[in-house]
Amino acid sequence: MIIKDNEEIFSEELKSERFFIQVKRSFAIAKKDLKIYYNKGPVVIQGFLFPLILFFAFTVGRNIIPIYLISGLMAMVMFMTSTSIGPVVFPWETRSKTLERLIACPISIKTILLGNIWSSFIFGCVFSIVPLLLGILFFGLWASINILIIILGIIVASLAFSSFSLILSVPPTDMPANTMILTILIKFPILLLTPIFMPIHAAPYGIVSPLTYYTDIINVGLGESSAFGPHGLLLDFCILILFGLGFTFLAFVLHGKTLQKRFRG
Amino acid sequence: MNAIVVRNLTKYFTPSKKEKKKGRARNPSLESRKQGNNSIIRAVDHIDFEVKNGEIFGFLGPNGAGKTTTIRMLTGILKPTNGEILIFGQNFWNNPIKAKQIMGHVPEEANVYMDLTGLENLSFIGELYGISKKERISRAEQLLKKFELFEKRHLKSKKYSKGMKQRLLLCMALMSNPKILFLDEPTSGLDVQSSIIIKKLIKDYNKNGMTIFMTTHDMDVANEMCDRIAIINRGKLIGLDTPENLKKLKQEYQAVDFYFTKEAKESELENLSSVKEVRKIRDYYHIIVHDLNDGICEIIEYIKSKNLKVKKINTYEPHLEEVFLKMVNGGDDY
Repeated sequence: MIIKDNEEIFSEELKSERFFIQVKRSFAIAKKDLKIYYNKGPVVIQGFLFPLILFFAFTVGRNIIPIYLISGLMAMVMFMTSTSIGPVVFPWETRSKTLERLIACPISIKTILLGNIWSSFIFGCVFSIVPLLLGILFFGLWASINILIIILGIIVASLAFSSFSLILSVPPTDMPANTMILTILIKFPILLLTPIFMPIHAAPYGIVSPLTYYTDIINVGLGESSAFGPHGLLLDFCILILFGLGFTFLAFVLHGKTLQKRFRG
Repeated sequence: MNAIVVRNLTKYFTPSKKEKKKGRARNPSLESRKQGNNSIIRAVDHIDFEVKNGEIFGFLGPNGAGKTTTIRMLTGILKPTNGEILIFGQNFWNNPIKAKQIMGHVPEEANVYMDLTGLENLSFIGELYGISKKERISRAEQLLKKFELFEKRHLKSKKYSKGMKQRLLLCMALMSNPKILFLDEPTSGLDVQSSIIIKKLIKDYNKNGMTIFMTTHDMDVANEMCDRIAIINRGKLIGLDTPENLKKLKQEYQAVDFYFTKEAKESELENLSSVKEVRKIRDYYHIIVHDLNDGICEIIEYIKSKNLKVKKINTYEPHLEEVFLKMVNGGDDY
């Protein structure tokens, strides 16, 4: 492996190739995240326990029609699970010094963030299917269901909330508990603002929450009409896509700014 | 061709709000390089050096000298405040991903993924370097065998001993078959077996042409392994040469202990031209000489002429540790 003066040391690749290489490598990050973090305390608490507890807190003793029950549960599970891995990965990896290892590899911070988005996305998608299956099994919702709308809704919302979750890990802390506090402080008001387990028009302030648009998509997918008029579904998708892109861009910028602070001292 | 060229490399840290409030740096050894509570901390201060292709380059310094900060800048973990890093003639920061593709890095603290097995850790790193699945499994298994970890390849890394983790880290760094290998304190705190394995394999890889950049505070490791050594203190480079040349800077430490069968006269010994100083310590004479070779020859001539008999001779060559201490404490600029 002795290098001669005229030997080509660096491989040349086109910009487009570079992009696809980085996307491919982000899948490796996602695979690793899913293997390591799915059973970590904060993920289990926020991804499984909170939706379960909140579901009972919201629904017990109330007469809720099956469509709102299932769309509400799906919205809550989607929001909580797709935002459960993202906030803990960075502090965890800062603490265990594995982030240093990743940064020393031929990948960019964007690749790492993209990998985190994929893992949260898969987590959110898989767990959103559970309440849907429950609805089909126990409430016979299969008759009115539009599976394409629901699947598209799950995919778009899961990507949007996964990118949102990365914003929560921007502070350069190495204590997952610190981001947990921030996460709860931000996620719960969003959840409370969203008109879940009820008609969307019953809570007009819900328009500020991105989760409202996902709830509307699921309502439409389960046979309801959109709360935002005839083009409501299109509006829902557009808003979620905009939220997703905006959060991703913001996460790239903010993490780029705080990354160096994680390796100090 | 130089593997690494560093020009005017500088890293300043601004104390965080917390540190400003507490009035101390996160790394206490950096405190001395801070001027006032609100000023910057000069972790690495305008250093220049070159690492030749195929050499083992040692980077020595006391704790907090700036070794790890330097290696972090060279591996793209930290962005320099100022200066230039050229990797095989290409500016690192023009395309860090391209530069990192030909580098391997073993950090000081074990940072393997504890919840992944040894094989999974290697496969993951291989994937990040774009190695195909078949190739990375084959490379991983070869490395695990070489580093005596093959039997434990399916064991989660959290169950590995410190030495095993360090060997796994080295395997991870070697997965991509790098042209430059960065090692941050590779043998620090390791058991003898792991230390021997690591040192031997580093030498083997270097023999095959791999450039090695290693930081260490272990003088024996540096002396034994490095072709050239740079000494850094308080963020500044204070010495750079081969171990042999560095040792020459500490000539006054050349001495020889003679154990005679009967008493010799100190004044006569002191009159010899190659002798600087004679100290009688218990049953032997500690003789400091200008040059070890000339000194011993002259003393032996004296012994013959005085009919003295020698029981034992101990020689003292300058030790790298003494050079290091002299430079670090004495503040000698190179």
